[in-house]
Amino acid sequence: MTTILKQNPLRRGLIEDRTGDACALVIFGASGDLTRRKLMPAIYNLGLSRSLPSGFAVVGVARKERTNEQFRAGMKESVAQFSRRKPIDPALWTDFERGLSYVSGSFDDPSTYQHLKTQLEDVDKERGTRKNRLFYLAVPPSEFATIVGNLKDAGLVADAAAERSGGPWTRIIIEKPFGHDLQSSRDLNECIASAFAESQVFRIDHYLGKETVQNLLVFRFANSLFEPLWNREHVDHVQITVAEEIGVEGRGKFFEETGVTKDIVENHLMQLLCLTAMEPPISLSADAVRDEKVKVLRSLRRMEPSMVRECVVRGQYGRGFVKGEDVPAYREEPDVASDSTVETYVAMKVHVDNWRWGGVPFYVRAGKRLPRKVTEIAIQFKKVPHNLFAAPDGGISQNVLAVRVQPDEGIALRFTTKEPGNATVLRDVAMDFRYGTAFGSNTPEAYERLLLDAMRGDATLFTRRDEVEEQWAFADPIFDAWREQPVPPPIYPAGTWGPERADDLLSRDGRRWRRP
Amino acid sequence: MSNFPSTAPSSLRQAASARVIARLQNELRDLWKPSEDSTAPPPTRVCTMNIEVVAPTTELLERYAPVIDEVTASIPARAILASIDPNTITDNEITGTTTAVCSSVESGTKMCSERITLACRGDAAARAASAIEAFLVPEIPTALVWLGRVHVDDPIFEDLATDANRIILDSEYTSIASVIQVAAWARQQHNAPDIADLAWTRIAAWQEMLARFFDDAETLPLASKITRIVMKQACEPGARIGPETALMLGWIGTRLGWKTSRLAGALRFKRPDGANVTVELSSVSRPKGVAPQALAALAIEAGDNPRKPVLRGSIERELASGLADLTGTTVDADVMVWKCAKTGGAEIEQRIRLGANKAAKWLERTLHRPPRDIAFAESVAFAEHIVEDGLTAT
Repeated sequence: MTTILKQNPLRRGLIEDRTGDACALVIFGASGDLTRRKLMPAIYNLGLSRSLPSGFAVVGVARKERTNEQFRAGMKESVAQFSRRKPIDPALWTDFERGLSYVSGSFDDPSTYQHLKTQLEDVDKERGTRKNRLFYLAVPPSEFATIVGNLKDAGLVADAAAERSGGPWTRIIIEKPFGHDLQSSRDLNECIASAFAESQVFRIDHYLGKETVQNLLVFRFANSLFEPLWNREHVDHVQITVAEEIGVEGRGKFFEETGVTKDIVENHLMQLLCLTAMEPPISLSADAVRDEKVKVLRSLRRMEPSMVRECVVRGQYGRGFVKGEDVPAYREEPDVASDSTVETYVAMKVHVDNWRWGGVPFYVRAGKRLPRKVTEIAIQFKKVPHNLFAAPDGGISQNVLAVRVQPDEGIALRFTTKEPGNATVLRDVAMDFRYGTAFGSNTPEAYERLLLDAMRGDATLFTRRDEVEEQWAFADPIFDAWREQPVPPPIYPAGTWGPERADDLLSRDGRRWRRP
Repeated sequence: MSNFPSTAPSSLRQAASARVIARLQNELRDLWKPSEDSTAPPPTRVCTMNIEVVAPTTELLERYAPVIDEVTASIPARAILASIDPNTITDNEITGTTTAVCSSVESGTKMCSERITLACRGDAAARAASAIEAFLVPEIPTALVWLGRVHVDDPIFEDLATDANRIILDSEYTSIASVIQVAAWARQQHNAPDIADLAWTRIAAWQEMLARFFDDAETLPLASKITRIVMKQACEPGARIGPETALMLGWIGTRLGWKTSRLAGALRFKRPDGANVTVELSSVSRPKGVAPQALAALAIEAGDNPRKPVLRGSIERELASGLADLTGTTVDADVMVWKCAKTGGAEIEQRIRLGANKAAKWLERTLHRPPRDIAFAESVAFAEHIVEDGLTAT
């Protein structure tokens, strides 16, 4: 009797941490900051966690002339400096660095890709990478088209259909920004689609690699307690905050072209909103989850110019104090115009026009030079229908469920209780769950999780083309309205929670921002 | 502490036990009273599970307490450690202490777990289960770690095991036979607790590394054509097969659908296609710090012709190769070397580092694993045949 195996029988029921598929990871922009600070430490940590496949290699590609030895030495230095686990394990590094190699050349020179092809063939033979390729574009978006076109011309992109029939696979990871408006994102997607099928494209949003963001799905759909309350019947409103205490940190030129709305709201914040508002997916497959997120994006009420004026507040930080330190105004930052009208703060009232959320406003805000770094989603529940307690201190507060994404990742539930004593005095208390205390704090970096997922072909935590385009379709009318009425954003002092108008946005509705 | 003589009437002794428990519960409450120093940051109390640890002697329990303290630093829990010694005739009482075991977290705050240590001697041993249960935090899972020999007809074991969600043993110290007995007992229970064996957790990395040989579409068909397996364990020649080796072989056999049979009393392994698999067990010397009978190496051959295998793979643990980290050298955080050679292809080699082979590490990892593991239950049953047969290392 001959047994025909379709799946590795030794993987059946294996609980040990999953590994990636054998592959060669090709990093374009291998001499850049992202590679040094994030990618290489993440790959090394995957190796330490035994998550790298046995057949694995990294090929760095950049313009700078370098030998393999110089590339390895540079990467070792980066890992030593930026790895979350130190020091470098010499026994493992020796083996790890044998899999590192470097190809120098210009991205627009076809010969670069021929060298790369030869190098990958050698790597397949020596490292057992099985002709599987994971291309990582750690380069500015202006380079994407050139690289994608040359990869295709050099025959370095395998047919997606071949993968489905068990052949070698090719995948590409790209970093945001995915365009600067709807049209440019469509152009970019078209350009990538000219060489890669959508199933081969992994658009990385590192926010989705964070534990708490992933836990949102578990929290919502693995607990019977919350989901029945997660709708317009019980929720008064939702607040999503992405606050940073830092300024533009030397990225003045970049920020002048983007502003906080394109840098944070259009991607990270929209993703948080989707995970909060989405319906239960039919499964946890990448497309099932992303289908539900797209439905949320399509449900967002598009903003007419008058609605932008009413529901969107911009701001720009002036001089002020953050953590007791003097900080300069945005316009005093390097590479920033002295009359810049770029927003460093934005707050919006967003409507999700669907059955679940009809009439429930989502107030979202993001800003720089705010009093503290915090990202959180707060579900504010409705008041009790009738107040039984004539409490001397103002009565009953609304219950709040706060999901803290960073720092101190966790979940807190605020509710009202009676203070001990003869009088009925009500007090708010919080049940507080923190990841760091409950499970220890040495959790993987977002890039580790996302790289591993890409190696395994799991796109759940990556953004799909239609998601990106829907995000821009929502954001574009806001930018159009701002362009049509170029009013400089109001200045808020650094170290405060944004301009006063942002408070008005909620106070008009009888609500106020949380102070997270 | 109670001073009732052992001859005191049973009701008085029980009242003494109740007083001890009441005192310990008061002490637990006192642990969390606000500090008199108003500037001191309050410690954070966290509890995600109950961990009951039962040992036959106080000495063993004392040796194990640091293990539990290390575990609760990463899995905050209420730890209830009990030594139960019914044979002590000079003492018939329950005594105990409480303490907060704290560790600092990133933000500088202290994260604390509670540890309750009980000693139940003489007649008091019979009341041990009820004393332990008095300290369980409700509504969270309970893991029972049984350190000594285990007998399923022991009423203390039965009382504690019935209420536990998970029973954790280490077949290296008990035996696979004990694990099998406990698993059989659990199957008869209405709400059966899950059974875990630390030896099974220790071989998890081996399982994953072995699976890698057959991940490639080209080598996948060879999983059903394994012709020879050589396993090495750290022991003297002539020693019986150890729990890790037996469980590993059990796991391979059950995953690949092998059957065992006997020929002239000798154990044989057959693949589903009826072909024989040669299984060899040999010994390697055991360096200091390495557990007796630890699995040290595994090699496989696969192909249509046993004399000309097309795939040769090996996983070798460099015993006691150690890891010099920031805290010094951790003996036994060994390197594993994985090698794979296929006819006509280059040999692929990868080195990985095992986590430190510490009791706390294995217990922590076991507690993190999903409680229900069908592969474990099947592998234990398969390993039973191997152990019964008395396979010995050459």
